[in-house]
Amino acid sequence: MKLVVFFVTACVSFHFHVFSMNPRLLLPAFALLCGVPFSSHAADEPPSASQAIDLTTGEWESVVNIDCSVLVPDYREPWNAGQPSGGSGTGFLIGKNRFLTNAHVVSNATKLVIRTTNDPQPHPARIVFVAHDCDLAIIEAEDGTAFEKLKPLTFGGIPKLNTELIAVGYPIGGDRISVTRGVVSRIDFRPFSHTQVDSHLAIQVDAAINPGNSGGPVLQNGKVVGVAFQGFNGRVAQNVGYIIPVPVIQRFLKDVSDGTYDHYVDIAITDFPIENSAQKKALKVGDDGVGVMVADVEPAGSVGNILKRGDVLLSMDGNPVLNNGLIRFEGELMDMNEVVERKFAGDKLKLAYQRDGKKEEIDVELKRFDPYVKLGSQYNQRPRFLVYAGLVFQPMDRDLMDAHQIHDAAANYLFDNYLTDKLYVERPEPVIMTSVLTDEVNTHLAIYAHSVVDEINGMKIKSLKDVKEALAKKDKNESFVVVKLLEKGRPLVLKRDLAEAAHPRIMQTYNITEDAYLGDE
Amino acid sequence: MKFSLLSLITLVSLTSLQAQGPLRPTGPRPNTAPKPIGTLVRPQIAAPMQPIINTSSLLKVNVTYQSYNLQIPWQKETSSGRRGLGVVLPNNRVLVTAQMVADATYIELELPDSGQKITAKVQAVDYEANLAVLAPNSPAKEKAFFSNLIGMEVDTSARIGDALSVWQTGRVGELIVTPMRISKVMTQGYVVENAAFLVYEATGIIRSEANSFTLPIVKGGKLAALLLRYDSKNQVATLLPAPIIDHFLKDVTDGKYDGFPSLGVEFQITLDEQFREYLGLKGDAPGVFINNVMKGGSADKAGVKKGDIMISINGSSIDSRGDYQDPQFGALSVSHIVRGRSFIGDDVEIRVIREGKEIVLKSQLTRKNVEDYLVLPYLFDKGPKYVLSGGLLFQELTRSYLNSFGNEQQGGPILRLQRIANTPDEFEKDGRKKIVFLSAILPTSSTQGYERMNGQVVEEVNGKKITEIADVAAALKEPKDGLHIVKLREFPFILHLDALKVEKDNLQLLNGMFRVSELTRLE
Repeated sequence: MKLVVFFVTACVSFHFHVFSMNPRLLLPAFALLCGVPFSSHAADEPPSASQAIDLTTGEWESVVNIDCSVLVPDYREPWNAGQPSGGSGTGFLIGKNRFLTNAHVVSNATKLVIRTTNDPQPHPARIVFVAHDCDLAIIEAEDGTAFEKLKPLTFGGIPKLNTELIAVGYPIGGDRISVTRGVVSRIDFRPFSHTQVDSHLAIQVDAAINPGNSGGPVLQNGKVVGVAFQGFNGRVAQNVGYIIPVPVIQRFLKDVSDGTYDHYVDIAITDFPIENSAQKKALKVGDDGVGVMVADVEPAGSVGNILKRGDVLLSMDGNPVLNNGLIRFEGELMDMNEVVERKFAGDKLKLAYQRDGKKEEIDVELKRFDPYVKLGSQYNQRPRFLVYAGLVFQPMDRDLMDAHQIHDAAANYLFDNYLTDKLYVERPEPVIMTSVLTDEVNTHLAIYAHSVVDEINGMKIKSLKDVKEALAKKDKNESFVVVKLLEKGRPLVLKRDLAEAAHPRIMQTYNITEDAYLGDE
Repeated sequence: MKFSLLSLITLVSLTSLQAQGPLRPTGPRPNTAPKPIGTLVRPQIAAPMQPIINTSSLLKVNVTYQSYNLQIPWQKETSSGRRGLGVVLPNNRVLVTAQMVADATYIELELPDSGQKITAKVQAVDYEANLAVLAPNSPAKEKAFFSNLIGMEVDTSARIGDALSVWQTGRVGELIVTPMRISKVMTQGYVVENAAFLVYEATGIIRSEANSFTLPIVKGGKLAALLLRYDSKNQVATLLPAPIIDHFLKDVTDGKYDGFPSLGVEFQITLDEQFREYLGLKGDAPGVFINNVMKGGSADKAGVKKGDIMISINGSSIDSRGDYQDPQFGALSVSHIVRGRSFIGDDVEIRVIREGKEIVLKSQLTRKNVEDYLVLPYLFDKGPKYVLSGGLLFQELTRSYLNSFGNEQQGGPILRLQRIANTPDEFEKDGRKKIVFLSAILPTSSTQGYERMNGQVVEEVNGKKITEIADVAAALKEPKDGLHIVKLREFPFILHLDALKVEKDNLQLLNGMFRVSELTRLE
């Protein structure tokens, strides 16, 4: 997985959630009027524009509509269950009672229902695996018997540029299955908008892909070559849709084959192209176009103790890395991270690099790089919080920053430079005092909401759990609770007896049923 | 809440009054209506208003100004004009606001009635106090020009509730007088962000006239204030008051301008009872919590420390809001005792409580000179310092540079630099005098591959630590093995340049498309 936080990146792509569209228009589908069945025989040929589809054959029953009820977590009132909402997307059968779809179709789900084109029956379903970092999920029907006779779709490879493909799904604009057609426009490493921090290989197509297509198969010669997942807002770009290609899908399927999803691994370095003649000379790089400069190394990453700034990365698994950070892989030039992308936690990567002109080789064990997860959106997680005498403490992450619209200078600096300035080393989970539920006891402190908590009762706060421990701790002056904030001129002080007397009163007044949720475990 | 004597105050600008266009006659023409509405013509000024209205103390001041382009520092911006009024002082000097003459390339004084003009220069200027004294350029013409003008006196006696009048001149120099009343007195920043001064807030209507910049506000024929800004929606005028004008003029008299002293502390109010108890403050005992002491400032020299409770300055008790009781204005921020009522070199006595004990600290007042800031709070009349080499543009960080991006979210680099400007301490500890950063990279052969970067703070050049822009110029003279090595605080952390190519590119930059006039400005 490639870190994209260094030159961040206003993300203009959006998710394809469709919120139920009423009224329902019962228009006859054109396909029903045309006689030629879409059979697996026909699918072996490149699909042509005149080819008609007969839905009555049941061939398309394995492309299903997924209706999802969700609770959107409320980061402002984290003790509440969240806002009920819903959406719908597409999924398709890939094995016995196994439907592949996008993670964002089923994120924060409370109830899932599968529907097919011809079956009037709704089928309750549940999530089996979900991988937010590559926006893929597998769901199953609670009772899979209805799907036993259906034929799962099979996977193809990476389609060539300018070859035709069709996107099948249940997008906006109607209730029945929809087919759109286009060509492969581009194959590239792209940010995945679901988490806002991950980038993987993606294929750009010009087939109309709209909200509701998400999770649907994109087919070429009857084989799945991708899963439709994101596009641009119409004001930004037209005829640009993205699909998750087979290598990413197969990596996901392989990862979950042992029963758990282990996430992507990272090399966690940032490369800088070698284009400048002086740079070449200083780094002692030859004229063969091989070698990229290692500009930054995450200390907590897979090669934190191995590579250094200014090293020249020469190859990965024997495959030369070019001056611009690309690598020739499966016949295409791709970002060198693609080599790491295909690997799993614990896999080895053979690196060749050059330091001060001397070549070195090493096998490194790849692992997940956690700190950047906070910078992305998270799902299927209950917001964590702790309330003490009306002071609300929450761990810093993207959802929190967005929900509270935080503009505190120290908090914004911490969030924006969490990786670039390696702030995660000192403060793995920064805690923000997001609000003050006003009461007599804390009325003077309300103006300090949105500040970053530095210390409580003399203890450095590195995670939300520390807050709980630190509040119980008695510092020099035990009759006071002292909260030190980052870059605020004074500590917040509460008299312990007053605070403890006020706490239950505040909980009741503000309708908070439990004073903390620190996570499962 | 944070109250700071060094603090930043957002300014509301007064666009409606900054008329820069040509003179436009307003109101009916003289032949159709001999007495224009809203105008007081001299013979009729008798009874209801004030006894004397001295029109012969006002001048029109016309300024052409041209500021430097902060992002392309060898260029200047389009020149433009400002038209305002000046107050005639004794000795043929003219008082205007500093805003009026900032980045001036040409200044002229104009007699409102006859239209006669004379060129002038800035004799003294203080951008923090927003005041400037102008002197005519030509001694030969000076006498005749000023012969019918009378210097105006400054009256510092205005109080809350006093009636004042705003003076404007009409098309042919007739005086337009509008009443105003002082409703509030407080301290706030004028036009630059690093210092707060006394202001009067007055309510009343000010009409938009030509030359409406920096209008004089008069009490009994004497100068009581200059208009600082006007909020036409709420009809509230903020006035630069006589006590500050008087202080400025007294300072100028000896020929050497020292500026306004400052205490150099940041403090926190102590209204919160639990905080008071924590600090050991009893009942309604006075005092504020000092949370920051500026190095080298007056308070630092006196020995004030972070964590002290400051309870009085020069015998005036400081309440829990940080106010003292001013005999003239009532409750007023303690900063005025130092900045408005004292001069540099004056004795100051600060009482603080430290570890439960009251101690008296003494020193002489001083100020932090603008040049001593890590990040210059403002930059007028001179160009930004820079070094352009091979296409790398090194600059010293200033507030003006940051402000030149406006309020648009500029993302990473600007936000990061802004933060450095807001938290200079750690960089000062690092031994830096200024923040040198890469502000742009021009596309040349030496910068191939580096074009899309900007905003990185420079740590080292050719092995030499960079503490100010001059260090860059010096270090670039000593490449090693034909290479320049620039170490940066941020990604990509290191840049290499070919020293020979840099030389070639420098010639190109001077003579080629970029038409760079100078490769460096170090002064």
